[in-house]
Amino acid sequence: MRKALAVARWEFIEKVKTKAFIISLILTPLFMIGAFVLPTLLITKPDTEPRIIGVIDETNELGKLLSNKLEDKFKLPDGKPNYIIRHIGNRALLNLEEAKKEADNLVVKEDIEGYLIIRSSIYNDSVFEYRAQNVGNIKVTERLNRTIRDLIIEKKLKAEGLDPEVIKKLTFPIELKSVKISKTGEEEESDFKTMFFSAYIFIMAMFILIISTGQLLVRSMVEEKSNRIIEVLMSSSSANDLMVGKILGLSALGFVQIGTWALIGVAIALKFGTAIISLTSALVLLPFFILGYLFYAAIFVGVGAPLSTEQEAQQVTGYLVMILFIPLLLAMWIMQDPNSPLISILTFIPLLTPTMMAIRIPIQMPSVFEILANIIVLSLSTVAAMWAAAKIFRTTVLSYGKRPSIKELWHYLKSK
Amino acid sequence: MLTVKNIRKEFSTVVAVDDVSFEVKRGEVFGLLGPNGAGKTTTIRTILNIIQPNRGDIFFDGKPFDDAIRNKLGYLPEERGLYKKNKLLNTIVYFATLKGVPQTEARKRAYDWLKRLDLLAYAERKVEELSKGNQQKVQFIIAILHNPELVILDEPFSGLDPVNQIVLKDLFMEMKDKGKAIIFSTHMMEQAEKLSDKICLIDHGRVVIEGKLSEVKSRFGKNTVHIEFDGDAEFLKATDGIDKLLLYENSAEFEISDHQVVTNMFALLTQKLKIRKYEMIEPSLHSIFLSMVGGNKIKKSEGVSL
Repeated sequence: MRKALAVARWEFIEKVKTKAFIISLILTPLFMIGAFVLPTLLITKPDTEPRIIGVIDETNELGKLLSNKLEDKFKLPDGKPNYIIRHIGNRALLNLEEAKKEADNLVVKEDIEGYLIIRSSIYNDSVFEYRAQNVGNIKVTERLNRTIRDLIIEKKLKAEGLDPEVIKKLTFPIELKSVKISKTGEEEESDFKTMFFSAYIFIMAMFILIISTGQLLVRSMVEEKSNRIIEVLMSSSSANDLMVGKILGLSALGFVQIGTWALIGVAIALKFGTAIISLTSALVLLPFFILGYLFYAAIFVGVGAPLSTEQEAQQVTGYLVMILFIPLLLAMWIMQDPNSPLISILTFIPLLTPTMMAIRIPIQMPSVFEILANIIVLSLSTVAAMWAAAKIFRTTVLSYGKRPSIKELWHYLKSK
Repeated sequence: MLTVKNIRKEFSTVVAVDDVSFEVKRGEVFGLLGPNGAGKTTTIRTILNIIQPNRGDIFFDGKPFDDAIRNKLGYLPEERGLYKKNKLLNTIVYFATLKGVPQTEARKRAYDWLKRLDLLAYAERKVEELSKGNQQKVQFIIAILHNPELVILDEPFSGLDPVNQIVLKDLFMEMKDKGKAIIFSTHMMEQAEKLSDKICLIDHGRVVIEGKLSEVKSRFGKNTVHIEFDGDAEFLKATDGIDKLLLYENSAEFEISDHQVVTNMFALLTQKLKIRKYEMIEPSLHSIFLSMVGGNKIKKSEGVSL
């Protein structure tokens, strides 16, 4: 065991000091923030200048109404209207083609943001056109669309002799507030988004940990094989100590990484005041997290030990990651009926247990019996996987070139 | 110190080592000889418990292998390699701690050795910045830093320049004087001849000769002639009574099979060549090696062609 600790210490200290590790430790959260947080912040950022929208209006009516309504509804922080409507073309005697040419010019010169074409047929086919250099500005198109829809509905209601205000009151939207009742009978306000997010965060954490540590394990074994250090190591320490030491050291590395990111995540979550993970779920998930992690680590060792090149290693880790992802493909189905018998059975497959549980537990806590049974099955599988990995490690870590066949692997497992 | 008894190791279809036995005592330098692929490395790995033999036993002072014995063994593998990105000193200390040496002690010893082998300037540098020869010296330090009782060196001289070969030889002798047992493998017979007390020649996984170097040599008799000369000695190839001829540019070694010829030999040679040296010696390990191993091969290939 002392030797295992020496190996663990070496793997941890020497890797934690590398530039690659430090860079990924800092860069990954920055990247995440950059990729997810910034765009949302930018989209929700209000405009500071009014946007001018052109209108070619065949109805000679909607354009004016739109202008009033927009100015009324959307204001800039300083109180000025956010959108200013500019009529294009001769209003009394409109020539559509000429007006379009004029408007196109204005768009190209960037005098206007874009322009609408409202045909007189709009009351029948409910279609209007928006033309701009950038039609991807969802905020603008969304608002224009909604406002015009409201105007047309209003007008149609009036034509039928109905009062829009009364209609609005009568057709108010019904809001569904879902309350999750946990096993202990407590109420817990919960909506789809929260559930989805907690499952999502657990799974992501597990993925990152398993994949990054798994790759480190495989890479470190392949490296020691290719520079033949493995022989000196094997003459100094038992294969078991070596394997345990590697798993310990690189896991510690993985936990430092995920821990740092989790802290950053929590800090951000607290700042924005959203608690998305329930503590109970996290505690129940913890054993699955750890066991699942160890189970996969053993598999990575068993699969990685016979390999001798970096390319092979990448291929094989790729396959393993795919297995890890299967439950994610089933996520929607699981969320619909988390306690169906088929899902319960699938959960007992050790390769799937951790991810399945990560999805199921936040949605609907499985029965205590099921949780315990799964922990037992996963523990036994982990012990078996570790045992098998040690066997394979011991026998194949000195072999080069050819990958062992399934038959040979079976033979290794039987050898003493 | 070490007793190897009838070990046999098979790899799927090949028998790498078959019925190999020998013994190594403290203060002895043991040369494990044989051509490439003879089974030397497999034998060594078996001793180190890196691989298990299919049959046979290995004892250390009469006891079978256990975890405690690992710390008493030092190993320099044939295929050299180190962690490239790590610092020299850290790497050495790591391997020593794996052998049970406490950190601080390992650090101290590592400094001493680096100093002695002229590597102190590199202590805080990355291993990849070192030349091949220097990396090999580092590996040698790793093999002996924990003060092992049995040191096993697989082809220790390959890749070393003459100066460092001498350094290594001195170290050999020093360890021998301290009562360590040393096993080294080589296919270079000159090295083995100079250093070994005992040899074991393996071919195709089997022991061909084993024993004290002097005994092995005398077993092959004292009818070998070694000459150094100027001139063209091609005629020796066709001379009757000359056997196992090793002909070089300015020297030759051969056995005289026919005693009738011995008396005439010197006269014959001086007549045709300018002889600078004429010596009746024991055969060199090289010629023993060739006659035992090379001869075998030639016979075999003849058998195939027939």
